[in-house]
Order: sequence, then C-alpha cells, then structure tokens
Amino acid sequence: MSGIWVVLEERDGRVGRASWEALAAGQNLASLTGKALNAAVIGAAAEATAKEAAAKAVCKVARIDHPLLSRYTPDGYTIALHQFFEQEKPEYVVYPHTYQVRDFAPALAARMNEVLISDVVGIADGPTFTRQLLQGRLAGSYRHPGSGPCFLSVQAGAFRADEVGAGTAEVTTFTPAIEAAQIRTRPGEPFRGAAQTVDLGSAQKIVSVGRGIKDADNLPLVQELAEVLGAEIAASRPICDNGWLPMERQVGSSGQTVSPKLYLAVGISGAIQHLVGMKGSQCIVAINKDPEAPIFEVADYGIVGDLFEVVPALTEAVKAAK
Amino acid sequence: MIPVHATLAEPQYFSVLEKLLFLILVVASGALFWRRFGPILHRILASRKDPDFHLDHLGRRLWDFFAEVICQAKVIRQRPLPGLAHACVFWGFCAFALVTLNHAAVGFGVGFLDPAGFFGRFYFYLAAAFAIACAAGIFGLFARRFFVRPRWLGAKVSYESGIIAGLIFLLMITYLAAFFTTDGTTAARVLWWVHTLALLVFVPIIPHTKHLHLVLSPATVFLSRGEFSKIPPLVGDEDFGLVTGKDLTQLVSLQAYSCVECGRCSEHCPATNTGKELNPREIVLGVRAYLNGPGPASEEPLLGKYNSQTAVFQCTTCGACEFQCPVGIEHLPIMVGLRRGAVNTGTWEDDYGAKLFNQLERGSNALGISALERDKFIQKQGLPVFDGTQEYCLWLGCMGAYDPKGREIVTAFARVMDYLGTSYGVLKKEKCTGDPVRRLGNDLVFQTLAEENLKNLAQNKVKKIVSICPHCVRTIQEDWKAYGTPPEIEHHTEFMARHADRLPKQASNEKVAYHDPCYLGRYRDVYDEPRALVQISGRLVEAPRHKERSFCCGAGGGLAFLGEETGERVSHMRAAELVATGAQTVGTACPFCNSMFRDALGEMNGTAPQLLDVAQLIARGLPEPIAAVATTAPGGSTRE
Amino acid sequence: MRIVVAIKQVPERDAQVRIDASAKWIEESDMQYAMNESDAYALEEALQLKEKNGGEVIVLSVGPERVGTTIREALAKGADRAIHVDCNDLANRDALAVARLLADAIKAENADLVLTGLQSDDLGYGQTGVILAELLGVPHASLILTVEKTDGGLKVKRELEAGWFQEIELPMPAVLAIQSGGNKLRYATLMGIKKAKTKEMRVAAASDLGAAPAPLAVLEGIALPQKQRTTQILPGDAKQAAAALVEKLKFEARVL
Repeated sequence: MSGIWVVLEERDGRVGRASWEALAAGQNLASLTGKALNAAVIGAAAEATAKEAAAKAVCKVARIDHPLLSRYTPDGYTIALHQFFEQEKPEYVVYPHTYQVRDFAPALAARMNEVLISDVVGIADGPTFTRQLLQGRLAGSYRHPGSGPCFLSVQAGAFRADEVGAGTAEVTTFTPAIEAAQIRTRPGEPFRGAAQTVDLGSAQKIVSVGRGIKDADNLPLVQELAEVLGAEIAASRPICDNGWLPMERQVGSSGQTVSPKLYLAVGISGAIQHLVGMKGSQCIVAINKDPEAPIFEVADYGIVGDLFEVVPALTEAVKAAK
Repeated sequence: MIPVHATLAEPQYFSVLEKLLFLILVVASGALFWRRFGPILHRILASRKDPDFHLDHLGRRLWDFFAEVICQAKVIRQRPLPGLAHACVFWGFCAFALVTLNHAAVGFGVGFLDPAGFFGRFYFYLAAAFAIACAAGIFGLFARRFFVRPRWLGAKVSYESGIIAGLIFLLMITYLAAFFTTDGTTAARVLWWVHTLALLVFVPIIPHTKHLHLVLSPATVFLSRGEFSKIPPLVGDEDFGLVTGKDLTQLVSLQAYSCVECGRCSEHCPATNTGKELNPREIVLGVRAYLNGPGPASEEPLLGKYNSQTAVFQCTTCGACEFQCPVGIEHLPIMVGLRRGAVNTGTWEDDYGAKLFNQLERGSNALGISALERDKFIQKQGLPVFDGTQEYCLWLGCMGAYDPKGREIVTAFARVMDYLGTSYGVLKKEKCTGDPVRRLGNDLVFQTLAEENLKNLAQNKVKKIVSICPHCVRTIQEDWKAYGTPPEIEHHTEFMARHADRLPKQASNEKVAYHDPCYLGRYRDVYDEPRALVQISGRLVEAPRHKERSFCCGAGGGLAFLGEETGERVSHMRAAELVATGAQTVGTACPFCNSMFRDALGEMNGTAPQLLDVAQLIARGLPEPIAAVATTAPGGSTRE
Repeated sequence: MRIVVAIKQVPERDAQVRIDASAKWIEESDMQYAMNESDAYALEEALQLKEKNGGEVIVLSVGPERVGTTIREALAKGADRAIHVDCNDLANRDALAVARLLADAIKAENADLVLTGLQSDDLGYGQTGVILAELLGVPHASLILTVEKTDGGLKVKRELEAGWFQEIELPMPAVLAIQSGGNKLRYATLMGIKKAKTKEMRVAAASDLGAAPAPLAVLEGIALPQKQRTTQILPGDAKQAAAALVEKLKFEARVL
C-alpha cells in the first residue's frame, strides 16, 4: 500500500494549474489520513513535468513514460495507469477534474472494480468527500468504505495551488507495456473554432457591452479586457443595431443564447430581452453605474461604478493575477 | 321631361320566338351559373364538418345578420364613403328584387306589377330612387378602383370588377331610361332586351368572381363561429390542425369562397403594414385557390404552393383582420389552424420556436428563467402568498414574475390593491398559461400547461383571479376551457375601474396616449375601463388608430419569443404613432406592449415620452403607505 | 446504424429543493421530472444520424415507473423503440452498478453506437458513458459535440478546454458521451406523441439481473449549501473593487 498518488496532467509542456490544485488536495488528504503523498506524471514532456513535481513536498515522483503516451488517448492512459496502480496499490488516487480525466478515469476505476468520486470540492475528516449535487443546489458528502483504491477528482479552484509545499523527491520511471493495436481511437490536432464564425454559444468566457459604452470609439477599452481574460466579445441589441459590433455578437432573445462560465456585463441595464440570452451563465458579473439596474438582480458579483474607470482597473487586476 | 304619369315602359307584346329565345337564354344563364356554382357548393359541403359549430344563439345571429348584412353596418363604419356607396348598390339590389322578377315575368307575358296600378307605380318609383343611388354608388366605386387606386385593393387592377361594375351600371341605366320611353315602342323593347341580356350575362359571372359573395356572404355572416377568435378543438387521434385539404372544414371553405378581396384585413394588418410577406387577404385567397385546385379531399399540404409557411408565422394574432371583415371571414382560426398543422406535425423548423417549446416542457415559464427568481421577487416585495382565504389570486404571469418592468407593474398594482384593502395572494407556483404556444399551434405543450395549471388552481382553491396581462386573461378564461373549468378572471384595469370612485384623482394636465392592447380591446371588448383610469391620472389623448382599430405592438402570436423581425418593426411603427400625438406619457395595459414600446421608445432620438402601465398611473396618485415594510400575518390576511 | 441512447429522468431544473425526512435525499413527493439535458442532445444526435444514415434508434432508461414519461417523450421525438429497466432502488446504486444494468440491457441489442449524455443534472458524476464503454469492451470518446459516420467508423468533434476542439476517429461499435449544445434540439410534437403510443417499450426488471451490490462510494449525507446565490456588490473605488472581483472570480467562483 503506497499511500496517496496524485496524477499530474501536462499543459503546454508544464504541469497545469489544475494539477497543482489536485496536489494541494492530496496534501490535505495526507494530513487527514497520515498517508504518504506521491505524484505521478504521465504524457508528453514527462521529463520536464517530473522535474517540476520533484520540487514539491512529495515522497516519490513516478514518471510514466511510453512513446504511445505522447498524445493523449483514453486507451493509452487507462492501460498505463492500470499497470502502474496494480504495481503501486495506492489507497487514494487524486486527479484534477479536467476534460481529459473525465475521459479515462471512470474507465480505469471500473477496470479496477472501483468508482470515481468526481468533481470533489472539499475533503473533511473521515475522510469524507464533498460534491455538489443538483447543479449546486445541494451538497453531498461521500465515503469510500472499501479496501481497494479510492479514486477522486477535484474541481478546479476548490483547492489552492499556491498551498503546495516545496521539497525534493526522487524520480522513478515506469514504462508500461502498451501495443499500438490497443489504442483504438485516433485523435487529431487540437484547433480553435473557425475564425470567421463567432461561436458565442460555446464560449467559456464572455465580456458583453451595452449602451453604457456610449460610443463605438470606446469599444477598445472593453476589447482589451476581453483579451486579457481570454473572453469573447458580445453585446446587447442596441450596440449591434448601431452597427458597432456585428449582429452575430448579439446576446438576447433575438440574438444568441449563451451559457459561459463567466459572463461580464459592462454597461448593460438588464432588460428581459437581454437577460433571457445569458441567464444560464455560471457566474455573472455586472458593472453599471446605476445601482438599481435590473442586471444586479441576476448577477453574482456587481460593481456599481463608472465603467470607464472600472474596466481599465479590472484589466490591470486580471493581468496582475495571471 | 318626365311625363306626369310616366311609368316603367314595357314591351306590350313578345312574339313566341322571343319568348322561346328568352326561355333558352334564362336556362342557359342558369345552367352556366350552376356549372360553376354547383362544384363550389359541393366543395364547401364536402369539407369536414366543424366539430364545435352549433346553430345556437339564433337571436344574436339574426341581429348580426340584420346589422351587418341588411344595414351594412361594418361595411360603412370601417370605410365610410366607399362603404356607403357599396350600401347603395346593395340596397339597390334588394329593392330591385321585385322589379327583376316582374321583368322576367313580363318576358313570359305574365307581368304582375301593373305600372298603372298604385302599388306598381309606387314600387317602380321607389326602385328608381334606389337605381339612381345604385348607379351613383357603382360609378363611385368604379372610379375609386380604376382611378384613385387605393393600395389595399391590390396592385393589379381587377378587370372583372370593371365588367361587373359596367353591367350593374347598365342595369340601372336601362331601368331608369325606361321611364323616358313609352309602352310598346321599339325603344321599350330594346331597353327590355338590353336589361335582360345584362342580367343574364351577370348571373353566370357571379360564381366566377368575387361577386360570389352576393350569394354566400349573407350565409357566412349568419353561420359565424359565434365568438371572436374561436379556435376549434382537435378531434380524435388524427387531427393535428389544418395540414391538408382534408382538414379544411365547411366554415373555412365557405369563408374562403366569400372573400370579396376588399383588402380591409390587409389594411389593418401589422405585418402587411411593415412590409412582411404576410397578407391576410392572400391567406384566405390561398385557401380558396387550394379548394379550386387540389380540393377538400386532397392530401397536398396547405402550406406550400398555395400559402407560405413563413407568412403564416408572421401573424401577431392581433385580430384586426377578423374584426374588420364585412363578409364574416374568421381569419384567426384559419391562421392558428395552419400553424397547428405545421407545429403539431413537426414541419415548422424554427430555432427560437423549438427553444420556446423545449423551455416550456422542462421549465415553468416561457423565458426559461429559474422559478427561484420568481420566489425571490415575491419575497423581496413582500407579496402575500395565496392560501385559499383571500378573495383574489393575483396571477403574475411570465412577464409579471420575471421581467423587470413587468415586476414594476405588479408592484404598482399590489399597492393599489393594498390601498383599496383587497385581500389577495400570489400562488407559490405558477406555470406559463401557454398563450404563446397556443397561438403558435403547439397543442402538446399547451395541453400540458393548461392541465397542470388547472390542477394547481383547484388544489389551491382559487376562485377569482386578477391579472396584469391580457394574454393571461384571455388564455385562462377561454383557451383553458377545453381542459377544465377555469376560475373567474379579470384584467387589472377592469378591477380598478370598478373602484374608480375610491382612487384619488390626480390634478394633472399631463397628456396620456392610451394604447389599446389587442388582447384587451378586440379580444375582450374592454375599452372604457382603462380610459376611465387614465382620466383619473391625466388627460387622455387618442392615437389615430384606437379602440377596435388599435394597431398592434407586435408581440402577440408568440412573436415576442421568436427571432428578429424582417423589415420595419411593428413596435416602432406604433410607437411613432403614439409619440406623434404629442403626449408626455404613453399608457399601456399589457406588459408585452410595455416591453415592445420600451425598446422602440429607447431608440428614438430626442426625448421620448414616459411609458407607464395604467396601474402605475394610478399608483403614483396614491399616498405613501404608512408602514414602510409591509407585514403579512401568517395565513396572508389583508394587509393595511 | 443501430443506435442505443441511454437517457435519464432527473428532477426539473426549476424544482424547489427540500431535504426529505430521512435526510438522505430530497423530497420527491411533489417533484416534477424532465429528461436530463445532455441526454436530450444525445437523443438529438442519434436521431440526426438515423436521418442521415438510416437504421434505428433505441432509447434506454433505468429507473422507477415514472421514467416512462421521459421514455415516451423520446419516442415522440422519433426514437423507434424503448427499453425500460425498472429499478426502484437507484439511490443504492453507484455509477458502476447503474452502468452494469445498462450494459446488460445493451449487450442483447448488438448496437453499432451507444450515446449517453455527458453528465446528469442531479448527481452529475459524468461517468456513466465512459464506464459503459469499459464494461462493453468498446472504444469511446467524451464531450462530443457532433458525430459523423465515415467508411472506417466514426469521426467526432470533441470539446477541449479554453475554446479548443479536436477531431477523433474511432471504429464502431463505440460509446460516445455527448456534450450539450452541439445541435439544435427538435421539439416533441403532438403527432410524435400519438405515434409513440404504438411504439414498443420493453420492460426489464433490474432485480432480474441480481440484487444491487453495496455501493463503492456511499452518499452519507446531504445538506443545503451555506451560500445561496445572492448578489455580492463589491465596494471601494474602481481599483479596489476590481482587485476584489478578480480574487472572487479566481477562488470563490473559480472561473478564472
């Protein structure tokens, strides 16, 4: 039994932030259970990511390496990690809850006759794992009573990456046995959505501008904020009617319906025609100088102020936090 | 000079040959008439029977017949000058009945009206007076159609109308000319034959042209469905609305054949007026063309070659067309029927429509907003919850519960009710009444909503409802009847008007242009109550098109939930008309009208007038409430 | 193409959430249910594939008697037949146990393709599709937006984080977990509902396939979350408010 293994995911040649958060969760779990904390890296750039992991407060770092793992496939990762965990027999396996993990971790758990406790937002004594149910309207606490490995994945932002301690650890290499024929899917190169069509419907972050912007000349202010956020620009109807932004960027009852993780409404009052287009957003932020503006009714966070001051300040703050 | 004892000159003698010729011509004329009319009658009768038509309310039918057909009330009131001209032609025809009969009898040598006798002379002079009026009338109408060319009659000039006009004119002139000839002369004989030929040519032309209305429209008016916008129920498992010819009913066919192509429906249609494809007259004529083509037994889709699906879905169901029609065509059941045919079978593919239907299937309101938002609003405003003990249930509706401006209207009205000491409560849960899906023709979703709502109301023991939205009022009172017995419901202006004497009069000279909502005005006949309330709070000014002539705001028929309009926006057109009255405030009585005008007024350059619901107009004259925070005793009893 | 679509009936999004007497789940007595959202997209994808390539669409659902309504809705939208695995103790079954029930029902069908929604609106594990692929021994892909049949099998478009996408090719038979939003959903029509009455719905009892095994992950307790969604107005001048906002977005809302 080798304690807790945190599986770190590679992003652009480095360990991704969500993985550091998973390691922080692992740290939390280690202090609750008294088990050893270890990290495993898998996939491309394994040498570099292993080095990063080795500089953290973990006992061991395993570098799971194989040519067939350089490109992510569910088959490759499942086979490799299965062999690794058969060898290590962990008590806990912690993943970041990324799209990639969702694609293979449940299959791996099933292969080992276990079930993944996914999208955990908190770990408490027991250990018990807290998850959100019913779209966040309910919180549930889970226990893993069995003797096999307990697999869990942690929600992005539930733990803080900067709480991971520093240290030195030994790196060992694990080479799984994988045949090319076992990889049944052929992934293509990642690509961005087509440049011409504006697909607000699938945008994760949107900065939306309304009549408060007063003039088309003021748009660059908001566009800069969108850029630093990595967000798409959208607008309420009057802006598009005036031709300041193309019609495809209109959000509302006669435009697009969007449901991004973050919707920033700048200078938008919140008329019903606009609200119905964006009310499904996970997190709504409103910036408006009118404290009575209906948009504040639906916003999670609001700043009552002059957008010409708030927006540049926000742009700076976002840049600083990167 | 009219001779002192001048009477209608008649040929004194017809040869056997002439009588034979006359007989042959009469038979031929009749046969040609029937050749065309017979199949039309057959097509009407071969159409499916109307499931909900009963020949009841005979008194009202007779009255409508008398007023609309005999007195030509609608014809004259809605287009006075041409209407009067037409009335003269029509009355002329009626007066001529005896004359024409006598004329034919004379041809067979058995004339019964003696020109020398008292009755005969009296009658002939009476008929002459009508003939003058008729000739003048038909001449005026001819001049209007061919020289003035009003655009509602269509771009193409109707030559058949010219021919008919010419024949009618000829009939009148030959009749009048007979007063200036003497019995037995060649002139008299010639006149007789010209008159006769004109008549015998006229008769077969009738069923080939829109003049078929001469025969059909009295029946059409008498056989109306009985109520404004009466949407028939679906019958059986195979009925999805008006999909193919097989679904056309007798009333629809009768009405389609009665169309006189006058264009009064188009003249008042918001879609036609803003350059959309939809033209109500063309819809009716499209049905007629279908009947003449594939026919009532055909399985060819009604929407396709003969009528456009796009056009049908541009209708706001404002009802101006049905309201105007002088021959009794009921456009709304046809429109909704065609929409049902497309939606219930899934042939209508529209992203916004699908989204609306899916939202109402999964959620409680047409806007797709979480019901928690409604709860939050109720809590924040401290609205009492209905628990069966209060007198009224205040129905919020989708706009009242979720739209920021709709909520303001609800809050204002709640203040008025508090001031009046009315006991009321708001339901814990409401689902959309289903108005938009009802007008769009989705019977599946509508049935579910109606049944669930009725169950909810019954469980909560609701007896009386008051609502700020005319669409909710109409749907609950009328459309839900197919699925149960809805409680009594009235509009908030009707409620407030009853208590008008207790509402403080505001000393204000502010001009308020009141806009009659379609669903309150034409649909419910409520015009005076809101006006009485407006007079309490300011000075009423009327837009040029007001009361039953009110021009739609563009939101009805489910269109508020569909995508962008093409062409000019209906709401903008109406808003401009309201602003042009010079009023400082536009008064509305419907949250949808309010929402549409808010958009339109917001885009106007310069200072736009204020926009307030009647409830807000009244509420602003109320004294501030004594308690700053309203307290509700457990059980939601009357608040002070 | 023979496509099986696994759908789940979940509490309506608008439903009020109250904890029941046992404190183990929510009060279900006056609950209203609807089809899980991503499952609706899976169904839509299946129907579109059938329209393009021919074949049949079989809809499958595990749950108590009430899931019949949702199954009929799927039939009304165009599925050809249905399988209802009657199960009254879903609460005692974890994702692996539910996937086993589904796998047993699917094995007999010789499907070319199995579609599931990405995750359920109630429990939200987001695993059923992937586990199902493992149990059936077929390849899979998740977060799929669109599916295309090719000569060699399937070509699918997968959603990646941060606005990136990826195309994946895989052979059939396969399992795909469908993400919401890839297609426009069709609406159920009156005609569809009437036709659905004549479509086959086979009922299999879950108990026939053995008793529910003890859950591997046990839901011990539920609670209403402390923070309700209220608007937080961030005070201070532009700079202060902006900084506070970024902090909140990063660590509270976790969207940055």
